[in-house]
Amino acid sequence: MINIKINGQSIQAESGQTILQAAQMHGIEVPTLCYHKDLNPTGNCRMCVVEVKGGRFLQAACVTPVWDGMEIQTHSEKVTKDRKLTLELMLANHPQDCITCDVSGECELQDLAYEYKASAPTWGSKGARYPVDSDPNPFIRVDMNRCILCRRCVSACAEIQVRDVWGVAKRGFDEVIVAGANVPMLEARCESCGQCVAYCPTGALSNKMNYGMARTHQVKKVTTTCSYCGVGCQFDLLVKNDKVIGVQSNPNAPVNGMALCVKGRYGYDYVHHPERLKKPRVRRYLLDGRPKTVDGQRSTVDGHWDWVEVEWDVALDIAAKKFMEIRDNFGADSLGFLTSAKCTNEENFLMNKLARQVVGTNNIDHCARL
Amino acid sequence: MTNKKIVYKPVDPEIAELVHHHGGTQESALEVLKDLGAKNKLNPVTITEAARALRIPAHEAYGMATFYSMLSLEERKKVLRVCDGPVCWLKRSKMDSGRQTMIDEWSSMVNGQWSIERTSCLGLCDRAPAVLAEDEQAGPVNPKDATKVCEGWRGVPTDYSQPRKGEVRVMTALIGKVNPDEIDSALAHGVYAGLKKALQADPATVLAEVESSALQGRGGAGFPVGRKWRFVASEKKTPRYIICNADESEPLIFKDRVLMDTNPHQLLEGMTIAGFACGSSEAWIYIRGEYEHQARRLERAIQQAESKNLLGENILGSGFSFKIHVHRGAGAYICGEETALIESLEGKRGEPRLRPPYPPTYGFRGQPTAVNNVESFCAVPHILKNGAEWWNNVGATHESHLPATPGTKMYMVLGHVKNPGLFEAPFGLTLRQIINDFGGGMLDGSTFKFALCGGAAGTIVDESLLDTSIDFASSQKGISLGAGSFMICDQSVSPVSFLRELLHFFAAESCGKCTPCRVGTWRSLEILNRMAGGQGQQGDMEELQTLAALMQDSSFCGLGQSVPIPMKSAIEHFGAEFVK
Repeated sequence: MINIKINGQSIQAESGQTILQAAQMHGIEVPTLCYHKDLNPTGNCRMCVVEVKGGRFLQAACVTPVWDGMEIQTHSEKVTKDRKLTLELMLANHPQDCITCDVSGECELQDLAYEYKASAPTWGSKGARYPVDSDPNPFIRVDMNRCILCRRCVSACAEIQVRDVWGVAKRGFDEVIVAGANVPMLEARCESCGQCVAYCPTGALSNKMNYGMARTHQVKKVTTTCSYCGVGCQFDLLVKNDKVIGVQSNPNAPVNGMALCVKGRYGYDYVHHPERLKKPRVRRYLLDGRPKTVDGQRSTVDGHWDWVEVEWDVALDIAAKKFMEIRDNFGADSLGFLTSAKCTNEENFLMNKLARQVVGTNNIDHCARL
Repeated sequence: MTNKKIVYKPVDPEIAELVHHHGGTQESALEVLKDLGAKNKLNPVTITEAARALRIPAHEAYGMATFYSMLSLEERKKVLRVCDGPVCWLKRSKMDSGRQTMIDEWSSMVNGQWSIERTSCLGLCDRAPAVLAEDEQAGPVNPKDATKVCEGWRGVPTDYSQPRKGEVRVMTALIGKVNPDEIDSALAHGVYAGLKKALQADPATVLAEVESSALQGRGGAGFPVGRKWRFVASEKKTPRYIICNADESEPLIFKDRVLMDTNPHQLLEGMTIAGFACGSSEAWIYIRGEYEHQARRLERAIQQAESKNLLGENILGSGFSFKIHVHRGAGAYICGEETALIESLEGKRGEPRLRPPYPPTYGFRGQPTAVNNVESFCAVPHILKNGAEWWNNVGATHESHLPATPGTKMYMVLGHVKNPGLFEAPFGLTLRQIINDFGGGMLDGSTFKFALCGGAAGTIVDESLLDTSIDFASSQKGISLGAGSFMICDQSVSPVSFLRELLHFFAAESCGKCTPCRVGTWRSLEILNRMAGGQGQQGDMEELQTLAALMQDSSFCGLGQSVPIPMKSAIEHFGAEFVK
């Protein structure tokens, strides 16, 4: 442990920690923009600059390690002035479209501009440099005008999803984020996981499926576990008027953090799909107690093979009866059970019990092994 | 889309072969891209293919292809690069006619086989106005000479074989005496004597000698060379590397080009001694792409030195082996920043790294690395040959008093003086001495108005500092030594337009990584463009000053941090002209 001073307050920090880590450990707030706790810090945006006693320049808190006896000012006049100006330089080339922007209300740039009272200068491109919604990706909406070049998308794609889709092209004022060799995302190895969207602090990368449907204060966030596979990722469902309109990473998710796959993040439209099955269905001949076939031929009776929606008890009774018939007539090993990765551990456990103890067969397997 | 069948296709054999030819690793990426560019085959498809063959993400290759100014995705004919640096600007007849006019003038004068491109600075300041015809340096040349240039005329190179009055020649002593392409000629004049002496001693003694010489790095920052080598030598990690920074891309500065051009073996010798002292066996010379002529000369020199066993395995039977590679850049000022240089050498965009860790602990390939300027390495053989004490006193031969900084320095004097060019002298000269004693005085009809001291990122001073003695410490007094260049401007030059030229350079060369430099340089240029055109507005001065303070305090690397130096000093001395 080493001793440092932040804003006059003596605190202890671990050697090797950055100024930001030490400050956060003691509840001292330092604004960040390109920094994200999940990603390797790059020190690009210069929002987290702080004054270190004896230093010639301001230091980026996210990347500067602490040393014994360091004295830091996180909110001196010089620091706040520089932060405000840095924000203004970003805003000069950012469209003034918060009024119609999807992420307004959860935009980190907007929050910081508000905090530092930074308004957009009269000069700059104002976000007229790139086509809006420029990528054909069906899930991810790209508007590079809103990009502030923090490069979190680049890091997220490289470090979390390891697909290396996003990169930095050109230099200086012309610098721009591109997919691959400046090609559509899907041609640059993108698998539409949306990690870049989750880490984008502005509206440069947003979700296409629910674009324009609701802003953060208009939705209820319901934390749930993904129904697709056994990994058990958690995320927040965005619910508006009792409808699920989107999925958002929940940074506190214990298994997956902010990461999700394309199905978890974008495969939610089945929830309100008009053809979604909500109740069990059985063939009419089973309800009527008639044989499936006559002399190996399908019955020609009208509606004989139709699906009929029934209550769970009815369906389960039929299934149980059939299972017992097969077991009694042909032996327990004539049955096999295949469970699903979409089930929970508990459900899979119960399926195991059903197969081995109730039915009496070891024929049980799981889709994840296929 | 989801059902799209993915078919494996092997890499285009031509590109696979090219990548293989250059070594097949990421470090060869720049060479591969340059070759593709030379064939006019640089496009998203070939870049993606090259990236596959190099086993790097496509965006990295594309990021490089669009980062380095010598690479272009557009189809080009033979390229004539017209220097757009401040020295060439000063030499152009119609200074404020604008860049497009310059390009148009050239375009209208060359034949159809050539494409004209502007380039930030060619490092040919003593031959201004200069151009680069494909790989060949030419100057002084004007658009009216275009036909001749197309036919192979390259202007007249500056002759430095005769020392100026008052010069103390150490590193330049052999200019004109040795044939730079013949090692025998170099050997006959005692080049490699320092290395031979070093090899007879042990690395610790060599290191101690360099330390006691107090040689300061000649790239501009003046960090003690011996201390840097000590850091590298004391690192436990091996291999350790030596890198020579020959990316000399700052306007006004061309000393390294002259040193490499006139006596390449001196540099190789200095690097080999560094390798011996630091326990390194491999080195790279990162030379800017515009110095193709010098790069070839160095390669020839390396070959010759190897044939004489002055490089390579078991040098002169000492058991010490050392290999030097030449790596060409491709047009990026930022690559002169040592960590950006290392990134570039590793086959990436030349963006500066986080520091710490510094290169002596974590440099090229993550290994301990000593990065030094060409001039620093060139001084080393003489220190070894004649001893640190001699070096400490070498400056005393010029003046009766001993300058505070030992040794000699390469100086460049440019602009409105009678004898612009390069000379070698001790530290501690004053601007008046530089102009009058070495530069031959102001041109007839010219009176001194201001000077840019150090380099493009140096201080702009008025006559009040003419008699201040200049060394690495004098920037405290408002006049910087930097890399040793001094551009003298007379009454005809507006400091506002001049500063605009500098900002034009910095805005074009900012890497774009951090916000203050990326947008700050661009915005400062916008304001200065307006001011220089007589369209200044209320509040412009304040904004320039605010931007300068921001860039200085908050930029990521030395580039952004030093752009405000000329801005602030120009405003300090010539504030009245900015508000006109």
